[in-house]
Amino acid sequence: MRNVGIIGVGYTPVFVSKRKDVNIAEMVSEAVDAAYRNTKLTPDDIEAITFGNMQTFEGVNMPHLWAVDHMRALNKPYMRIATGGTTGMSTLHSAYYHVASGLHDVVMAITWEKQSEGDSQVGLSGIVMPEAMVMVQHGMDLFGGKGMGAMGGGSTGAAAYQATSYLHHSGASPEHIDKMAALERSNAALNPYAHLRKKTSVADIQATPFISWPLRFGHTCPTSDGATVVILASEDKVEKLADSVAWINGVGCACSDPATGNFIEGQITDPAEQEPAKLASAKAYAMAGIKDPAKEIDMAEMYNGFAHQSLMWLEKLRLCKEGEAHKMLDAGALNIDGELPTNASGGVFSTNAIGASAMNRPAECALQIMRKIEGGHQIPKKIKNAVSHGWGGMFQYVTVTVLGDEPRHG
Amino acid sequence: MSAQQERIVANAVVPLDFTYNYRVGQYVERYIKGLGQKKIMGVKCPGDSSVVVPPRKYCGRCNAIMDEWVEVGPEGTVENFTVGHVNLNKGAVEKADTEYVVALIKLDGASSLLPGKVQGVSPTDVEVGMRVKAVFKDPAEDSLEDLSHFEPAG
Amino acid sequence: MQRDIAIVAQAQIMSDAIGIPRERMLFDLVKGLFDSVGITRHDIETFVLNSNDFEVGHTIANVFEDTPVGAYMKDETHVEADGLWAAQYATMRLLSGNYDTALVVGDSSGASTFRPYLVMDYQLNPTHDRQLGILNELSTAALQAKAYMAKYGVDEDQLNKTAARLLRNAALNPNAVRSKADATGGDVLASDYLYEPLRELACYPFTDGACAMILASGKRARELTDKPVWIKGMGNSVDTYYIGERDLAVSGSAKAAGVRAYKLAGITDPAKQIDVAEVSAKFAHQEPIISEALGLFEEGSGGKVADEGLADLGGSMPVCPSGGGLGGYVFTANGLVRIAECVRQLQGGAGKAQVSGARTALAHGQDGFCAQHNAVMVLSTEEG
Repeated sequence: MRNVGIIGVGYTPVFVSKRKDVNIAEMVSEAVDAAYRNTKLTPDDIEAITFGNMQTFEGVNMPHLWAVDHMRALNKPYMRIATGGTTGMSTLHSAYYHVASGLHDVVMAITWEKQSEGDSQVGLSGIVMPEAMVMVQHGMDLFGGKGMGAMGGGSTGAAAYQATSYLHHSGASPEHIDKMAALERSNAALNPYAHLRKKTSVADIQATPFISWPLRFGHTCPTSDGATVVILASEDKVEKLADSVAWINGVGCACSDPATGNFIEGQITDPAEQEPAKLASAKAYAMAGIKDPAKEIDMAEMYNGFAHQSLMWLEKLRLCKEGEAHKMLDAGALNIDGELPTNASGGVFSTNAIGASAMNRPAECALQIMRKIEGGHQIPKKIKNAVSHGWGGMFQYVTVTVLGDEPRHG
Repeated sequence: MSAQQERIVANAVVPLDFTYNYRVGQYVERYIKGLGQKKIMGVKCPGDSSVVVPPRKYCGRCNAIMDEWVEVGPEGTVENFTVGHVNLNKGAVEKADTEYVVALIKLDGASSLLPGKVQGVSPTDVEVGMRVKAVFKDPAEDSLEDLSHFEPAG
Repeated sequence: MQRDIAIVAQAQIMSDAIGIPRERMLFDLVKGLFDSVGITRHDIETFVLNSNDFEVGHTIANVFEDTPVGAYMKDETHVEADGLWAAQYATMRLLSGNYDTALVVGDSSGASTFRPYLVMDYQLNPTHDRQLGILNELSTAALQAKAYMAKYGVDEDQLNKTAARLLRNAALNPNAVRSKADATGGDVLASDYLYEPLRELACYPFTDGACAMILASGKRARELTDKPVWIKGMGNSVDTYYIGERDLAVSGSAKAAGVRAYKLAGITDPAKQIDVAEVSAKFAHQEPIISEALGLFEEGSGGKVADEGLADLGGSMPVCPSGGGLGGYVFTANGLVRIAECVRQLQGGAGKAQVSGARTALAHGQDGFCAQHNAVMVLSTEEG
């Protein structure tokens, strides 16, 4: 199989609640500009482009078609990918396969969200089926404890069930969620591209009110306007075009059934089980030749819309045994200078332009491997292998990308 | 129950009413301000000198940022047009009370064609090549509708 | 291409009122497809779904589509574009060597759930075009037709004849939702004007439906069918969004898509080497524009093609023997239906619409106003 590497990353200058100064196409073009600046490539070098976001958030159908000129995509092969919260990584995987297929050598992946322009009702409840919308019309409260309408970063109701189940199975306590939250917000404070950048203590988190036990406001992610662009190249092009590279050594994805809470016909899946994470990561690790992730993986970037999820994903991705993640947290192992730095960027928990969020994870891993992190969250130890993770849908989609400092095939 | 027997016996009609609030960006903002002053503003591409209306940041052909502002029109030529016999109301086709003209107009000084309504003339008398002029709203309302429509010129 | 990839089997359903929920439609279709090939969902290594948020009426269109198509606990992804792109992506996943089988499935309930013209309204640029109130799928398509007619001297009668041919072909297609066995240009002329020159019968009908196909690599494909349809080449390309900056009489992106696909497929003379073409035309006039861009006919020859029947079933270059989009247009999945129709032709299963001796076929898909984005796939009965 062809080796494919990430040779560049571009972010919008900031990820914030509202970008009032630019329209959608202009905002995304800033990240495209940044990717060109960071790699010294030009549009003529890019052979194909993949593009993703969660389009109902902005109410623009097929925005990649409107934005062709701004994306420098004119006359190029162009493909739109959308998979809910995992969109960012699914879009990256599509770019990966454009290269791995042998059809293209240099491909750009563009992901973004500008949620400030949307009606929040659409994003949060618009995921549900028409039957549910009929009930909304009759005054039913979707945001209460009934566990409705969740997606990546979405309704706390369903996530609360997941958190409760996770705490029960792992032996972690609500204080561990507070601790993880404080750790990631403090990481984000070092990351100029993060949204919530205020250094935060456990006490600060615990001072925030509960939304739905055990989840507090301090445990939930923001919604951000921003865009992320990644450029991939095949192995022979990497040498010609790039001064550094992070190799995509393993990719995997899986889905289960949509988690609708106890709402429609009842739920058959415990939202803390996350079997797709095990399936997707198994495939990615196998592809990357990683036999013992707990030993071989040096860092993790997880898709955590809620703070408890960082701990849960570590276990589901076999980076530690079930029930061990909170112990690693207590021991400082998850800190930036620990053995398994987790979400050194602050994670989705600190920055969430939804369409981009799942691509920010491998982008951050790539920057860490290439030692091109801007700001203070560069992990001090050498990164040989990194795992990035995306999650979304109604709790059902998982994507995994394993990156390394060397290509899989020698 | 077989698929045949499961035919829907009831429909759920769910009108969804959401409001989106778009930032038009600085290019369209300046364009709207121009309309308020009865001026139609375009931008010129440094790559191929084409003048684009409405203005935007990137020329896709040249991969260039367009930041040279040029006033165009207010007169122009109808390059293409269609006569509408229906209106689309949230996607539903409704017969129009009167036929109307939707045209692509080349404003004097512009390279691109601007979509616009042509009024003040019977649709059967509209021809490709006819000269039209922009009609502005007075007083201006600070919106794209300040360029109200086009009428035969001269 | 670095591996041999084939389409093993296809299934499709189209209706003007499907009468069952989308999930049921998908389950029946895909389960039926698996049964016909003698496999289960466990034989599929990757699922590429294809649908549109605005069309299904909720965020994350594939959320409720996964389980009915058998993707539970499986490798799954989703392309939000015309189905031709989903098929291209599935092909890329197989070409990589990471997978040997794929299911591609797209769906829409554009007759029952959501008005296709409204779905297109949401594609308008929100910073300008949406506010104008004059641009929509029909008015822009009408301007495209006018541009084509003006540039090449093609008249309305010839476009209406094109539409009539497609309606006649649709009558031979058991899946079509609209057809007229003896349709003439006069029948199209007698239907209402929408935006001139578009007559109602020259525009696509609102359609519910779905299309699924199984792709497999070399050896696996030959295990699953004795009539694999090989994917010889593919490509896609995109024009600018702004119709005021496009020559609407031609399709630069369809041409570029064709060039890319032909290069991989070794096609140097499409008019000679392609035996049958299924192009995605939402309106009759789009068929000549796209066919010409693909090199199937001379530029601007739509009038002659209509008058002389060159695109007829028995003509020198049969186009849309299925009836194409005018017989049924499943928004989003339409590109898959075009591929499926090529598969029917190449597997000898097109019944009364069979182009005899068809060995090489072309399938085309489009997205955007006036076919802004175009994708092409070249298929053949011959491997290697």
